[in-house]
Amino acid sequence: MSVIATLNSFPLYLICGSIIAFVALICVVFIIRAYRAGIAMGMDPKILKRVITSSATFPILPSVGILLGVIALSGSLGLPWPWLRLSVIGALHYETQVAQAAAESVGIGTLSPETMTLSAFTTIALLMSICIMWGMVLSVFLNKGYLKKIGFKNSEDKTELNGKKKGGFGDLAMSAMFIGLVSAYIGSYIGGFVSSNGLFTFSGDWVPLGVVLVSALVMAFFVYLSEKKKKGWVDNFSIAVSMLVGMSSAILFSLI
Amino acid sequence: MNRNDYFEKYNKKTHFLGRVFSVITLVLLVGAPFLMGSILGASPDIGAVAKGFISVGLVWFVSSIVEFLIYTPMLGAGGSYLAFITGNLINMKIPCAVMARDIAGVKTGTPENEIVSTLSIATSSLVTIVVLALGVLLLQPIQGFLQSPVLQPAFANVVPALFGAMAYKYFRGNMGIAVFPLVIMSLLFILVPSLTGSTSMMIIPSGGIAIGIAYLKFRNKK
Repeated sequence: MSVIATLNSFPLYLICGSIIAFVALICVVFIIRAYRAGIAMGMDPKILKRVITSSATFPILPSVGILLGVIALSGSLGLPWPWLRLSVIGALHYETQVAQAAAESVGIGTLSPETMTLSAFTTIALLMSICIMWGMVLSVFLNKGYLKKIGFKNSEDKTELNGKKKGGFGDLAMSAMFIGLVSAYIGSYIGGFVSSNGLFTFSGDWVPLGVVLVSALVMAFFVYLSEKKKKGWVDNFSIAVSMLVGMSSAILFSLI
Repeated sequence: MNRNDYFEKYNKKTHFLGRVFSVITLVLLVGAPFLMGSILGASPDIGAVAKGFISVGLVWFVSSIVEFLIYTPMLGAGGSYLAFITGNLINMKIPCAVMARDIAGVKTGTPENEIVSTLSIATSSLVTIVVLALGVLLLQPIQGFLQSPVLQPAFANVVPALFGAMAYKYFRGNMGIAVFPLVIMSLLFILVPSLTGSTSMMIIPSGGIAIGIAYLKFRNKK
């Protein structure tokens, strides 16, 4: 049985499916508690039902985008694990970066079905869990005290409606951190093409660079649609579809 | 029991349940790779996990702190415990909670917002779980196709595809910051090609350069 076939085996579906089912149960518990509390506190049941209905319809489109991300990762990590990671805590851009870093740490180089081993997979899975868990850890230890201390006051002053904090170096530093991260990888693709077979031979693998270019162009198109044509709904798919088109271009590039 | 006492009691139990569920989810998530490893006969390499965490995990650790500080007051107790368990905050949970808050006409920091935010995040998480479960079920018949050799170059290029999309998003409007780490990293990888095997370690100096330049630009603007 191939590594990917093993990663798609029933026991892995059972483990990942059970955890997802547990998280679904948590959601049900919180819905019931919040609804009952709202009624007990005198809130209008019609408004509560509207909140539930709109919150149930809003995530359908983004969820399809997330599903595309599951497909993108399933080629190298199998289906069950990306299904779990993108159902619980995860986000597509995060999962892919961490999986790639883990692939390098275990010595298989790139996140690829050809180089994947079972040991590399469990290591990658553990690193993905450890890297993303800090929001939950902070919540366990600090949520109660933090909310008590700020008393929820002025929180609206600090945030805009889309949830992004206004101005300040914090925002710029976060963007800069991601710019540094992306620059390191794109630099490695450029270096790989120019010098991997000897300094300045320009005979290395150019496919990753081509893929970077294609997915950037697709993302530029989505940004154009979102900002110039006011089709904000495309944001739900922009990263996943850019990735899938970029990945598809690799098939064409490899035939050249 | 009056309204305030009721809410106080509700909130106290929310923190209790939120903590208990978060700890159980943490144990399940960290335990799953070990369980899968014991079934597959391949345990995780702890040394490689530590190395990977130092290179890329620290970036996300800082990101988690920022997200916790910003989003917790917006979402309230129940909403934030749930949001950090279920993830996809910026692309789904936050906009959904804000929309629900607008529909209900409640203000951040009020008991009503606590109720609405929890309802909104729990419902949207549940829908995502159902959509993904249905999607995974529907993907079963095409598993063979997904594993066919002709598609393998696509799956081998997941990471460049992600970074191409992210590069456009982050570089536009920030080219003054991006040009330095991009040029320096490219030159480094061209002159020392063996560094390609440890690209994730190069995120640290690259990120440091970008943050340093961002700080200089920020200070000059002030």
